[in-house]
Formats: sequence, structure tokens, C-alpha cells
Amino acid sequence: MNTILLQNLVNPNVNLPIVLPEMIVALTGVIVMLYDSFVPRQRSVTGAISLIGLAISAFFLVSMWNDAPQTGWNGMIASDGLRLSFTIVFLLVSAVTILISSVWADNEDVPIGEYHALLLFATFGMMFMASGNDLVIIFLGLETLSIATYVMAGLRRGDLKSNESAMKYFILGSFASAFLLYGMALIYGATGSTNITEIALKVANPNFPALLLVGGAMMIVGFGFKVATVPFHVWTPDVYEGAPTPVTAFMAVGSKSAAFASFLRVFVLGFPLIAGVQASEFLHESWVTALSVMAILTMTVGNIAAILQDNVKRMLAYSSIAHAGYAMVGFIGAGMAKNMQQRDAAIAAVAFYMLTYAVTNLGAFAIVTLLGQKNDRRTAFEDYNGIGFRAPALAFTLSLFMLSLLGLPLTAGFMGKVMVFRPALEANNLLLTVMVIAAAVNTAISAYYYLRLIVVMFFRERTTDWLAPRIPTALTAALLITVLGVLYFGIFSDGVIEKFSKSSVGTVFKAGTRP
Amino acid sequence: MATTALFFVFAGLAIACAISMVYHKNPLYSAISLIGVFVSLSVLYVTLAAPFIAAVQILIYAGAIMVLVVFVIMLLNMEEDKPLNRLRYLYAIGGGLGLILLVQTFFVFYAVMRAPKQAVNTEETIGKTMSIGTAMYTEYLLPVEIVGILLLMAIIGGVILVRKLSQPQMESMVERELERRHEGEDKDDYRIAL
Repeated sequence: MNTILLQNLVNPNVNLPIVLPEMIVALTGVIVMLYDSFVPRQRSVTGAISLIGLAISAFFLVSMWNDAPQTGWNGMIASDGLRLSFTIVFLLVSAVTILISSVWADNEDVPIGEYHALLLFATFGMMFMASGNDLVIIFLGLETLSIATYVMAGLRRGDLKSNESAMKYFILGSFASAFLLYGMALIYGATGSTNITEIALKVANPNFPALLLVGGAMMIVGFGFKVATVPFHVWTPDVYEGAPTPVTAFMAVGSKSAAFASFLRVFVLGFPLIAGVQASEFLHESWVTALSVMAILTMTVGNIAAILQDNVKRMLAYSSIAHAGYAMVGFIGAGMAKNMQQRDAAIAAVAFYMLTYAVTNLGAFAIVTLLGQKNDRRTAFEDYNGIGFRAPALAFTLSLFMLSLLGLPLTAGFMGKVMVFRPALEANNLLLTVMVIAAAVNTAISAYYYLRLIVVMFFRERTTDWLAPRIPTALTAALLITVLGVLYFGIFSDGVIEKFSKSSVGTVFKAGTRP
Repeated sequence: MATTALFFVFAGLAIACAISMVYHKNPLYSAISLIGVFVSLSVLYVTLAAPFIAAVQILIYAGAIMVLVVFVIMLLNMEEDKPLNRLRYLYAIGGGLGLILLVQTFFVFYAVMRAPKQAVNTEETIGKTMSIGTAMYTEYLLPVEIVGILLLMAIIGGVILVRKLSQPQMESMVERELERRHEGEDKDDYRIAL
């Protein structure tokens, strides 16, 4: 009875090449940690090792670009357009965060080796969130990312605000993870599988349709928390304000885009619309409606609250909430796509949006880190009074990032917005059209607080003494990458979007519009 | 029949313990009630033919984790919990949301009861230790590897957070505290969370 027959065992279908980029990042994390334990506090060495690891990982990722969409490990890992485009964004975010962190490491006593290792493990988790085609992998990736960010938010241990930030993020984040996990369990109960391709096949005829709906709702709570959508956004400003600025940059950009990658895969590819099947149509309509309402609320609350802030980090936190709303417009557009090409184009648009948002926001946070001085003391709007002509390079760069966040033509932010609004308009649906109009109105509202920072920098008088800080080499590199990114993605976006538009794994798709 | 009776006894006990955990103001009583919840749940797992999960529930949750919790409570020597009057208005909102959740739960029960019965495979041995072991090292090999990295990282994180503050960090903490007092910022700045 208790013997295992070899032919009864499931072949794990080991496919190492498909997870090679992830493995390299994890290995680099281990190497950094070991190096740091022998030669502690060598921030340039561990930073360089991390950057090299990320570069090698990116190299292998790019070399996979022209392969056809494939799955491995019994369908647990999918290598498709969604995975490739989001993963390249994660690697970029991680690399730029390491460059920005050098300022922080210079000013304060940071356990830098451990910090680099945590950052790499967080990246590893994010990569699995994009490549996981199975709820198990997605959840593990999300937990790896979350636990690393909980710790990183509290790295400035002598600072009460940083402690508060880590504690708040930990408690609320665990709560959200529990919701997500419960949702996954219910989905498993309803469909009998954790594999997203199989869930998509089973959606037409689930065991228990009600469980599918409740499970989907709980997953919206869990993912909604991670991407910071209203009403699951309350943690964002406090956590972003208290965490060290480079970590805030990483959370605002990295965690958000990773959560979007899984969110897209589970909802767009896992819960597709199968025309003529009642269970599937009802599920699809429910999640599209719920997310559309959330998107409108997210944009509005994010922008209006951002106007009221007098701290630059809090302003950027609320702006990141608003940007999650804009990205959701493209997400819902992908959900409402009428054919596979449109759907893949919409997914590519969301990935491109996260790329533009990443370069812009990382650049902005890099300057906030530098101007914040030790312990992020100078992050209020009045600390930016009149620095415009005393540090013109920094002020003009920051202005460029603000204009890109606003979405001014010729910057990356503009192209990103155009790309995510287009699929929603093409759906020809009243609710989606209302959503795009709300997004346009909100863009106009957001001009107030983005331009306010520029006005403060250039047209306010400064009463106290202020010396322009020296820009360290690593930060110069980070700013160079982000400025070039903002301009390049704003002007020559077609090539990048074409590269991102690859078909996705998940073939369940029946053309048809909802009656 | 016996299973049904066991289910009702232990499900009731679990709910009673859960209520007692929330109700008690002494954290130690709450912790002990929580142990009751875990033990009753593990009995339910046994009736569902999942002996491995039942054993793990007792060993890890009721055993290791709760011992840790009880130790922490005793070491910290906490006072009795006082209700937060400042946040009293939240009770109504919380109660309302809880009610919605309860209605939703009953709706799910109702919908599941009405759904056509699924054929249950009686040969299924998913809950047995051996099938869990074989699944972990065959089908779920990759997730197990990812958990390895996750645990490694959790250890690093734990070590960073509990390490003694270094001299410069202590100094900067004192400096910030003095600065804060100097500026007289010790008013509560609870911003209205939007």
C-alpha cells in the first residue's frame, strides 16, 4: 500500500532555461550576502556585484525574447509577452534603485550588504509574480517581495517614522495577503486547479460559480492593496513617507508593477469572457465593473488628496495611487478586448505604462533622496523653495520628471497614458468611456500639484541658507538613465511597444461582445 | 453520522473559542483561547482525512507559535487592554461591514448547497503524509525551491531588524528626538486618512 511506483509519480518537468533569469538574480543575492559576511560594508563592491547580476539576468531574458510563448514546470511558469515585458521593467527598477541607494548609504549607517541582498530577493519575487502561471507561484513571489519590502521599509531603525512605516506595512500587508490567499483557495475550490490556463478553461463550467465570484472578489482586495487602489490605499502615504526614500522608490514602482503583472495574468488571462456561457459572462462582467469603479475612485481620490499635501514624499505617494488608477484603465481595456491581438496589445500597453512610470518616478525619487539630506529631513515643499537657480541641473531634471508624471507630450508619461487609454476607448463601452473621461479630467487636476513643485522651486524666495548638494557619480548615472528613458520613451515609443506586444500564454478566447 | 456529530461539536468549540479570544481583555486568556481554536480545527482536519495537516496544526500552531506568543506576552508583562475611545465611531462601520460579510457567507453557503453535487473521489489520498511528500518533490518542486529562498530572506530580514543599533544610529536617534522637542512638534498629528 505504502509503496510509491515510479510510473505513478508526476514528472516535475524541470525546465531550467525558462527560469534562468530568476535563478541568476537569486544566486547574485546569495553571493552578495556571502561576500558581505566576509568583507562587511563594501557598498560599492556589493552594489557592483548586484548590478552585474541584474545585467546578466537581463541578457538572458532578452535572449529569450524571440522564442515562441512557452510554459515549463507543468505549466507553472509561462514565458510570454506579459512575463518578458514586465520582467525587464523589474530589472531596470532594481538596478536604478541600487544606484539611488548609494546616496543614502553615504549619509547614514545602512547595513548595505544585507540591503542589496534583500533588494535582489525582492526582485526575484517580483520576477516570479510576472512569470508564474500558477496561483501557488504567484503567491510565493508576492510573499517574497512583501517580506523583503517590510524589512527594507524599517531599515532606518533609529527613526520612529521608519518603524511606523514598516509596522503598518507589515500588519496591513499580511492582512491583504491573507485575503489573497483565501481568494486563491476559493478559486481552487471552484475550479479544481491552481493553474491559470486550466482555471480559464474551467471558468465556463465551474464546480461552484458562487465560490468563483467570492474568490475573485477576495483576490481583488489582495491585489488592490498591493497596487494601492482606493479603497485599499490608506497605508500608502504613511508607509511611503516613513520608509527611506530609495526604498519608497522601489515600493512605489517595483511592487506596484509586479502586482499589476499578477493581477493582469489572473484576471485577464484567468477569467476571460467566453461568449454565450452564462457563468463566464457573469464573472467577467462583475470584475470589469468592480475594477472600473475602483479605477475611477482611485484616480479621483489620489489626485485630490495629492493637492492637499505639503510633503513631497506624501505628494508622490498620492500621485502613485492616481497612477495605479491610470494603469487600471489599460488593464480593464485588456479585459474588454475583442480579440487576442487587441488583448495582447493592451497588456503590452500596461507594461509600457509601468515602464514610463518607473523611469519617471525613480528619477523624481532620486532627486528627493539627494535633497532630503540625512534621514530624509528636508522633504517638505518649503524645503524646495527657490532652489531652481541655485541647483539648476537638479531643478530642471525634477521639473522634467514632474511634467512626465503630468503627461506632457514628448515625455514618456504622455505616451504611456495614450497607450493605456486607447484600448479602453476601443472597447466602445459606456462605463469604459466614462472611465477614460474621468482619467482625462484627473490629468488636468493633477497639473496643480505637479506644477506647484516647479513653481516652488523657481519662483519662491528662499529665506534660509542653502548650498546645492554635490551629485555623486552613482546618482548621476541613475539620473542619466531616467532622463534618457523619459525622453526616449516619449519620442521613440513605437519600437518598445512593438517589442512588448508578444502573444500571451492562455489561449481561451472566444470572440464576441457582451449583449 | 459520528463524523457529523464530531463536526458540530468541534466547529462549535472553534467558534466559541474564537469569540472568547476576541472578548477577553487579558492577552493571556486570548492566547489560550486561540490554542483552543487551533486544536478544534485540527480535529476537523482529521475528520476530513487530512492527518498530516492536523498534525502540523498541532505541532506548529498550537505548539511552537503559541508557546512563543505566550512567552512574549509574559515577558512584556502587558497591562489589560483599554478600549480606544478616540476610534469609537469605527465600531459602527466595522459592525456594518462585518454584517455584510456574514450575509455574503450565508449566500455562499446557500449557493454551494444549491449547486449540483460533485462526485467525490473516495480513492483520493491528498491529505496523507506520503502523497504530500511525493507532491512536494515532484509536481511542486519549483514552489518548494522558491520557499527556500523566501525563508532565507526572512532570516536575513529578522537578523537585520533585531540587531543592536550601532553608535551612529543611536546618536542620530537622540539628535532627531532633541530636534523634535526643540521644534515643539509633540502634538498628535493624526492626519485624517483619506
